[in-house]
Formats: sequence, C-alpha cells, structure tokens
Amino acid sequence: MSDHTLDKLPGGYKGMAADMSSDQTAFKGVQWGKTMMWIFLLSDTFIFSCFLISYMKGRASTVVDWPNTSEVFSLHVGDVPVPLLLIAIMTFVLITSSGTMALAVKYGYERNRKMCAWLILATAIGGLTFVGMQAFEWSKLIHEGVRPWENPFGAKQFGSFFFMITGFHGTHVSIGVIFLFIFARKTFRGDFDTGKRGFFTTMKSDYVAIEILGLYWHFVDLVWVFIFAFFYLW
Amino acid sequence: MDETQNKAQGSTHKIGIYLWIWGLLFVLSFCSYMVDWFAFQGLLRWSLIVIFMLLKAGLIMAFFMHLFWERYALVNVLLWPMTAIACFIVLMAAEAQYTVFTRAFYFFVGG
Amino acid sequence: MPDEYNQKNTPLEAQSSETMSGSSGSTTDIDYVRPAEVPEQDLYHGHSFITKWVFCQDAKVIGIQYFLTAVFTGIVGLILSWLMRLQLGFPELVPFITAEHYYQFVTMHGMIMIVYFLTALFLGGFGNYLVPLMVGARDMVFPYVNMVSFWMFFIAVCVLMASFFVPGGPTGAGWTLYPPQAILPGSPGSGIGIILMLVSLSLFVIGFTMGGLNYLITILQARTRGMTLMRMPLTIWGIFTATALAMLAFPALLVSCIMMTLDKVLETSFFMPAIIQAGEVLDYGGGSPVLFQHLFWFFGHPEVYIVALPAFGIVSDLISVHARKNIFGYRMMVWAIVGIGALSFFVWAHHMYVSGMNPWFGFFFATTTLIIAVPTALKVYNWIITLFKANIRMNTVMLFCLGFIVTFVNGGITGIFLGNVAVDIPLSDTYFVIAHFHMVMGIAPLMVIMGAVYHWFPLVTGRMLNERLGKWHFWFTFLGAYSIYFPMHYLGFIGVPRRYFEMYDSPYVTSATGLNEFITVAALIVGISQFIFIYNIITSLKMGKPAGKNPWKANSLEWLTHEVPPTHGNWGENLPVVHRWPYDFNVPGAKEDYITQTTAPSEVLGAEVEKT
Repeated sequence: MSDHTLDKLPGGYKGMAADMSSDQTAFKGVQWGKTMMWIFLLSDTFIFSCFLISYMKGRASTVVDWPNTSEVFSLHVGDVPVPLLLIAIMTFVLITSSGTMALAVKYGYERNRKMCAWLILATAIGGLTFVGMQAFEWSKLIHEGVRPWENPFGAKQFGSFFFMITGFHGTHVSIGVIFLFIFARKTFRGDFDTGKRGFFTTMKSDYVAIEILGLYWHFVDLVWVFIFAFFYLW
Repeated sequence: MDETQNKAQGSTHKIGIYLWIWGLLFVLSFCSYMVDWFAFQGLLRWSLIVIFMLLKAGLIMAFFMHLFWERYALVNVLLWPMTAIACFIVLMAAEAQYTVFTRAFYFFVGG
Repeated sequence: MPDEYNQKNTPLEAQSSETMSGSSGSTTDIDYVRPAEVPEQDLYHGHSFITKWVFCQDAKVIGIQYFLTAVFTGIVGLILSWLMRLQLGFPELVPFITAEHYYQFVTMHGMIMIVYFLTALFLGGFGNYLVPLMVGARDMVFPYVNMVSFWMFFIAVCVLMASFFVPGGPTGAGWTLYPPQAILPGSPGSGIGIILMLVSLSLFVIGFTMGGLNYLITILQARTRGMTLMRMPLTIWGIFTATALAMLAFPALLVSCIMMTLDKVLETSFFMPAIIQAGEVLDYGGGSPVLFQHLFWFFGHPEVYIVALPAFGIVSDLISVHARKNIFGYRMMVWAIVGIGALSFFVWAHHMYVSGMNPWFGFFFATTTLIIAVPTALKVYNWIITLFKANIRMNTVMLFCLGFIVTFVNGGITGIFLGNVAVDIPLSDTYFVIAHFHMVMGIAPLMVIMGAVYHWFPLVTGRMLNERLGKWHFWFTFLGAYSIYFPMHYLGFIGVPRRYFEMYDSPYVTSATGLNEFITVAALIVGISQFIFIYNIITSLKMGKPAGKNPWKANSLEWLTHEVPPTHGNWGENLPVVHRWPYDFNVPGAKEDYITQTTAPSEVLGAEVEKT
C-alpha cells in the first residue's frame, strides 16, 4: 500500500477503529516482515523486562550490600578514577551507530544504494566496537575477581545479574552485527535493487529489509538505555 | 516489489529530523552520565535517571523506529501489553520489600 | 532442486475502506468487495520427497507434522500417567516404580501434557492447518520460518525424550520445577535431567516464537478480501489470542529457564538461598526462590489460557455447525476471548497462595481471578444458548462438544473455589487441585481436540471417521474421565495430599484405598480406549467413507477449497472473496440451511441475514 493512499486514511483513534474493522490488514501499509519484527521485539521486550524485574527483585531483597557501581565500573585516566567512563563511551558508540542506522534506512528508501551501504557498514563497525569494549569490560571485572557465582565487592547477585544481563544484551548486539555485515554486502551488491532471492528463504530481497534490520538495531540500543539506567546508574 | 517503489516516490523524512534526534540523544546521555558524575543521591538521582531514560527511549522509539509516524493501530498494539509489565514491576517491588522484611524478621526474631 | 514460483505478482491498486467509500461509494453494487491491498504471495513449491514431506514449507503439512509429534509425546505422557496410577492404586505392585521414578513420571507427565502436547497440538497442529485456510491465505506469511519452527519443536521433543536415557534419569522436581529442590542432589534427575529439561523448554520457546509470529501476522496482515476481524471464525480468534498470549508469556519461561540453568551450571544464586545440605554449607546464598515462582506463573497462568482459548474457539465453531445455528453473541464471544487473554496476565499468583509471598497479594489476585470468571461464564452461557432450540445433530462431534461443556463447567466451578485464598489454603496440595486442573485444562481441551479431529478429519484426508467407533470412544472417554476425576474431589476434601508417592499407614489410606483402586482401573480403561480412536484414524485413512466436499455443510472457508483435501497454495487460481461471517445457518428466507462465507449477497437476496 502506498503512502499516497495511506495519507487519505483517517488518523488517530478514528483511523485505528477503521483499520481494525477493515478487511485484509489490520496495520495499513505495514509489510509482513516489518510487522513480524515489531511483534518479535514486543516479545523480546518481555524477555528483557523479565530480566530487569528479576534484577530489581534480587537487588532489592538481598541482605548483603550492593556494590557501588560507579566505583566498580570506573576507569583510571592517569591516576584519577573516572566513574563509568567505559560505560559512557559504550553508550555514545551505540547511540552513534543507532543514528547511522536511522540514516541508512532513510537512504535505503531513497534508493541511494552507495550511501545506504556505507552507513550500514558504519553501523556494523560501531556495533563491533561496542562488543569489543564489552569484552574488555568483562575481562577487567573477571580480572578483579567478579564471577557469576561470587563477587568481592558485595552481594553475589551483582556478578550473576551483570554477566547474565549484559551477556544477553551483548548476544543481541553480536547477532545484529553479523546481520549488519551481511546486509552491507547485500546492499553493495545491489540485491535490494534487483530483488535477488534469499539463500535460505528464497524470497525476494527488498529495501524494507533494511528498515526491519534497523528496527532490531534501534531496539538493541533501546534496551541498552534501560540497562545503563538501571544497572549502571541506579 | 511495488511497495518500496511507491515509498521511494516521496515521503521519506527530512534528514534534519534524524540529526536533531541524534543530537538530543547525545545530550540526554550526557545528562544521565552527569547524574553519576555529580553523585546526586536519593530521590533526586532516581527521578533524574528515570526521566532521562524515558526521554531517550521515547525519542528512539518515536523517531528512529518511526513509531511517531505509524498508524495508531500498530502503536496501540505495541504499547498496551506494557501494562502487564508495569503490573509485574509494581508487584515484584512489593514482593522484594516483603522478602527483606521476612529475612530481617527471621534473622532478628527467629522462626 | 528445481525452483518454481508463482509469477503472478501483478501490482494491484491499493485502496482502503475509506478511500473506497469516497471514490466508489456511490455504487449500488451490493456484492462489492474492495480490491486487494497486498500482492499475491510468493510461494516455494517443493518437488522432491524431502521438500514436500520432511522440510516442507506448506503450513498444512507442518500442521500434520506438529500434530503427529505432539500425539506421540501425548502417548508417552499417557503411559506415564498409567504408571503413576498403578503406584497410587496398588502400591508396590510394580516393583520398578520407586519413589524416585514416581516423581520423575509426575514431572514428565505434567510438562509433556501441558507444553509439548496441548500447546503444540492446538497452536502448532490446528493453528498451522487451519489459520491460512480459515482466513483465506495461500500459506503462512513466512513459510520458511514456519518450517524451522517445527524442526525446533522436534529437537526440543528429542532433547526432552533423551532425558529418559541419561544417568539419573529425567528431572523429578514436579512440573513446576521449583527451586531450590529442582537442582539439589536430593531430588531425582537433578543432574543432567533438569538441564535437559531446561534446554528443551528454551528450544521450545524459540521454536514456538517463530511459529507464533507466523500465526499472528497471517491473521493480522494476510486475510483475504472481505475477511474483517469480526468475520473470522471463533477458532481463529481463539488461536490468535492464545498465540498473542504465548508471545508475551513464554519470555518469562525462557528467562526463568536461563536463570535456573545458570544456577545449576555456574552455581549463581538467582533462586538459591543459603542452604545447608547434610551438614555442609553450600556455595549458594541470597537468592529468592519465590522469584522463580513468580516468573514461572507469569508464564504459567497465561499458559492455561494458551491451552483453553483455542479450545473455546474451536468448540464454538463445532457447536454452531453441528447445531445448525449461529453462535449466540458472536461479538460477545470475541470480546470474552480477548478479555480473558488480557486479564490472564494479572492473575498469576493465585497459584502461589501458600508459597510465602507477600500476604497482601491475596487480595489482588483473588479479585482478578474472580473477575476473569465473568467472561468465561459468559462464554458458557453463550454455548448453552446456542444449543437451545437448535437443530442438534447428535453425532460424535456434538457429543464431544457437550462433553466439553460439562467438564469445563465442572472444572471452572472448582476453579472459583480455589481462586479464593481462604478456600485455597486448606485445599491446595490435595487431590482437589488435581481434579480441578485435569477437568478444566486436561479433559475439557481433550474433548475439544477429539471433537475437532472428528470434525476436520474429512478435510485433511478426504474420508470420514467411523461414527460407531467414535461414539464408543466418546462414552468410554467421557464416563471414564468422570470416574477418574470426580472421586478425586472427594479425596481432596478428606485431605489426601497430592504428589505423595505412597500413603503407607496414614489414616487416609483406610478410607481412600478403595477409591484409589477404582480410579486406577478407570484410568487404565480410559487410556486403553484411546486406542479405539487411533485404530479408527488408521483404518479410516484407507477405508473410511469418502467425505466429498463440505460433508458437514459448514460455512467457513476451509471447506470451500477447489480440491479436497486442499493442496499447496490452498485456493487454486483465485483467492476466495468473503461476504459474511461463518455462522449463517438456518437463515429465514434462504433455500439451504447454510450460506457459505463466499456466497455473495445478490445470490441470497431473500434471506434475512445478519449484517456482519
């Protein structure tokens, strides 16, 4: 469905009632793949929410003191400990990559193949940097004696929740990075212009796929916003 | 397929809006980092963290994920399930208080 | 392998209902249905045996694969229940049923029946087969993902079954897998068994997410022309809502599985408090076992409705077709399904009244539990009013529907008992609970499944099942199930505790021995009578009476394909166009007693149809 006809539909809640009572599609103009990604992300939101709720319950009910995160995650610049320095850099890297992804989606829809591909590549490199810094952070903490089952700074659950939540988020980032590289190659090759068929699914490639990947990538960023706030800052 | 060809004919969003949001996200991230830098404590810290977090999340969802431009049918389907999570959060917060209470009670008073 | 695609991706001018009424609203053509919004679906047609029957992308074949796999696990679950009943009715009769084995049977029976049998059968089996057909799509929207979904489920079942053969055997922690006991050496299968169970559940969740996305998007975005949400059969509404619940509830299960796996493998302390075992202080400390219960039941209660809602939907359709009457209060039924689905996320801790959670939660959860009974009761009333003064065909399908209503009302009423804290506390962990949930989510959905198999078997195979055997099967199952579970209510009232391997010389034994033996005999008979059903299916495959097209004279789309059984792509050249809801039975003024969904208004001018 083209945007041209979409604009003629009523908006707001009136439009919602009309869409829901119409035939064929409930979400007008939203492609199947994009709907799927949205519903999947909703489901994934529940996964991360459950993790964070468990973390809240665990942290709030422990009788041993929770470590001071801004000390634990501080980096020494020269001799001065700067609290949360690495985490701040990671946040900035991830937001940067989110921005390049948003622009890649825009250029994709404008059929600007080169620009789109370079931006996806930039996003992938940003994601890779993030994963790299996370690996550094993990090894630093492990070096200091933090383990999933113990923690020299206080409550055991600190180590457990830290490795589990950031690990699960890092897995999401890594999967995203892999797909970003694949998509960068596909875009450079022009798959989305020629409608080349997918290797596994045998379905035609389409620029919508970049928006779908973009949704996933922004979601990863979104989750980081919550982890940053609740795990590192709280 | 035809959908993108139609889409290409016009209404992608201006680049300015993305750059604006991008900039705002940097500013908000910086602000939330400053919360830790100045070591605010107590209610002030928590409310600032949550406000900046929600603003960032809202900007990402609304503009980067295009939810602002989506039709209400999709937006509502995505946001209403969060009430279940909200309920879960509130109840687990209460549950955590109670767990701490019982732990303290049985530690000091005994079973 | 050679590829072949539909090359008919002709661009169609997109229009919405609103622009339609603007541009061509002046037309008086009463048969007008606005043109298609989305282009024809691209389908991959398999040619070899492997792509057609093994790694098949056709939702109908995937549905049958799901069905057969689920039935296989169901039979395993049935055999486990026999072994449990043998021990309870005749203690120490079978020497190899030790206490450890008994608990392993209990655990595996529960998990298999709820997750791997009922969920997979309703959503994977019926969902895959019926969703594309009933909404008028050519296939699921992502056939490849759908195929992967089945194979993930298959691997999950393999992992689960593998746990029977590992050292220590399968986990014996009870189907709720409560920590800390689930992963401590005291309970059977706390080594590899519990890990395999958690891995298997995680795989199931991943596989199911893939399938669930397919069902949801197919229903939301791939309906045929004229098929509005309020014209969908209630079967689809049930499957749709159940799938939506699954997408939001399974995450909690996945999270609790991951955390417990870490507790077991890495000795983290998410759910593990400080523990002294046999005088030795373990490394665990500070965790919260009640957190697991909350996560588990945040999944577990919606799971009850994941099983129940498809049953509600399917039984509504079966009753309507075989009573030749429209379903009473269709819209009320839809909203009841949706309302139950939404509320099911706010009632979970009524399973935990005796868990030691915050005592104030009892108020909240008892209230929400009683609220959720309202839409459920509405549905029961509507089924009964549908039957009232209807032209009921007393065939096997209808018998199973009536059996469902009776067992469901029975189980539902005991549910209201258990939803109240004050009543629940003495009754929880007794046989009353067993009776309640077997009635409401064991027997009742099974009745629907069997009715549905008798109903749709002609569609899938082109042959009818034997009616005479079907009636025998029904009466054995229905009366037998009642003889099993009805006495259990009494056992619960006199306080016989559940999950006890043997009562030894406790006072319960003297008064309950006879009843326990009776229940065991009944359970064996009911179990064996299921083989009548399997025999019926196998013989009817080859020798059943040919069904022909639309043997039940139903209205919904799945009976209106060009070929019966439907082939890949479902609809031949053109997709069907829908003009009405699927419940136009016995409409005054119509020639036949049914008007199919594809019948245009101009073909039935004299009929006083409902406007849908």
